Amino acid sequence: MKLIVNGARREVGAAPLDSLLSVLREELDITSVKAGCEAGGCGTCTVLVDGRPARSCLIPAARAEGAEITTVEGLGTPDDPSAVQQSFLHHYALQCGFCTPGLVVAAAAYLEGGGSDDPEAIASAVSGHVCRCTGYGKIVEAIAAAARGDEFDLESTALDVNTVVKTGGS
Amino acid sequence: MSGKAVGARLPRYDGMGHVTGATRFVDDVRAPGTLWAKMFRSPHHHASLRNLDVSAAEAMPGVRAVITWRDVPHLVYGHLEALGIPADEPLLAKDEVRYLGQPIAFVAAEDEETAAAGAEAIRADFEERPAVFDVRRAFNEDAARVHPWGNWYPHFEGEMDRRQIRKGDFAQAAEQADKIISGVYRPAAIEHVPVETQVCLTVPEPDGRLTIHSCTQALYFSMGVVAAHLQTPLNKLKVVGGTVGGGFGGKVDTASDTVTALAAQKTGRPVKWRWTREEEFLVSSTRAPWHMEIIDAVTSDGWILGRKMLTLHDSGAYARFSPYGVTKHSFHHTGAYTIPNLHFDGYVVFTNRVPTTAMRGFGVTSVSFAVETHMSRVARELGMDPYEIRLKNANRINDTSPNRIRYTDPSTVDVLQSIAEAEGAALQPAFAGMSREPRAGDLLPEHLVTQVKTEGH
Repeated sequence: MKLIVNGARREVGAAPLDSLLSVLREELDITSVKAGCEAGGCGTCTVLVDGRPARSCLIPAARAEGAEITTVEGLGTPDDPSAVQQSFLHHYALQCGFCTPGLVVAAAAYLEGGGSDDPEAIASAVSGHVCRCTGYGKIVEAIAAAARGDEFDLESTALDVNTVVKTGGS
Repeated sequence: MSGKAVGARLPRYDGMGHVTGATRFVDDVRAPGTLWAKMFRSPHHHASLRNLDVSAAEAMPGVRAVITWRDVPHLVYGHLEALGIPADEPLLAKDEVRYLGQPIAFVAAEDEETAAAGAEAIRADFEERPAVFDVRRAFNEDAARVHPWGNWYPHFEGEMDRRQIRKGDFAQAAEQADKIISGVYRPAAIEHVPVETQVCLTVPEPDGRLTIHSCTQALYFSMGVVAAHLQTPLNKLKVVGGTVGGGFGGKVDTASDTVTALAAQKTGRPVKWRWTREEEFLVSSTRAPWHMEIIDAVTSDGWILGRKMLTLHDSGAYARFSPYGVTKHSFHHTGAYTIPNLHFDGYVVFTNRVPTTAMRGFGVTSVSFAVETHMSRVARELGMDPYEIRLKNANRINDTSPNRIRYTDPSTVDVLQSIAEAEGAALQPAFAGMSREPRAGDLLPEHLVTQVKTEGH
């Protein structure tokens, strides 16, 4: 079976009914795709299939054959993060980080589809994602900022704590 | 300096890893040749257990090890044993199961499906026993017995069967009071539901050490618990933690590390155990249900002279950290207020439910709920303003807590005044102008003068 993941063609030896989640995680070692409930309930395994958010735990790998599969690694890297990734980081729209990859790809699809900064529309777009650290407010804020194209200085977010203390003055 | 750090935009050191998927949680760590594991669990709330037969599982192609109580060097160990608190919980059940889902036998196999099939092939004879699920009913004389010694924990200091606080004289306060106002408060169990379920990967190293990749919130607890059960020195264990996919207290108990380590030792292979969401919901530890009875002796002008309180903490089937939780609870049973005469009894009560544990303010969240609800009830029954009754009884400098800690920096007065202001509630001048300074002159009733003298301040 051939899968197209983050733009690359990958040969996998999975059985046709193996879930896309297990193939991505266990065969291709793409570990951003998390197993949270394996029953379609929590959203943390979300990937984009031809640009649309899908729960990889519910999809047989064979059904994704030939489609463009995008995981959060395909959106940007630590050296070159995408705008929505930067926005999540800047707005502290994360805590433990386990639900974050699924939320970020869902947000990317929403923005790609021309989504606005309307909080209700954003909440509706990511309503299938469970965050138990209760960061929903900041998540909506981060997606809204990305929708508006807000500019922010990621460097200022990335100040080292020691620098702050040293330059803190009296 | 701190002024610059507070309010500054500080980065999350792990944030870039989280947004790009680069952060490696326990389930993301890879070790060649990893076996998957599944647990055979008790199908009953309470039953005797006999004739455990794991032969069909052991004979199954792909199954590499089955671990039962026979494989555990030190079967019964408690989280608080290091503090001298006797243990009551076997790592794997031997002759009795006390809650639905209690671990019995652990199967490590070449893949997840084979491990699951192995666990399903395990057989045992169970004889069901009466079970008890309500913490108040478990306290009845005729309740079903959870443990041979009874239904509550008997090992508080001095082998007392309760956490007890006596301060002042409640009986005298009740005599002096104009009114007795009581209430019963029963918050229910709450499951933490971390999005990352319980998970562990243990890798046996060539030098005989075990590397344990753990989702624990309490790494050194886990290290001690694993070392005790395995009867292995700490320097043979390397526990790797720090990346927790949500815990909220639910990953304080050592839920998956010990048995995974045993299986890695027995097979010489890395072993991974990742709980299903169903297991997490049904059998992972929860915040406890509590039963709290408060009886306050109050004056008609709003002084709380005395409090008598009974707390029953639902520990589930085993004690784990519950004695510690009830102790914290007892220290906070007057909340942010000072009550001079106290009579508190708190019991760690066993039921046939999953063992309960910490969650966001272990033992204190429950009592805060009860105390604040009760303060509002007292205000209502006396026809008083809910702010004023709180300010009147607020902790002040030199007041003492139930466990006789002298407050040097109590914030009750300031917090209440700020809330009133934010809410637009108008306080009487005496309360609007109150401070947290030691009680004197105004707002200092006779019973508190006596109390301050008694406490030696």
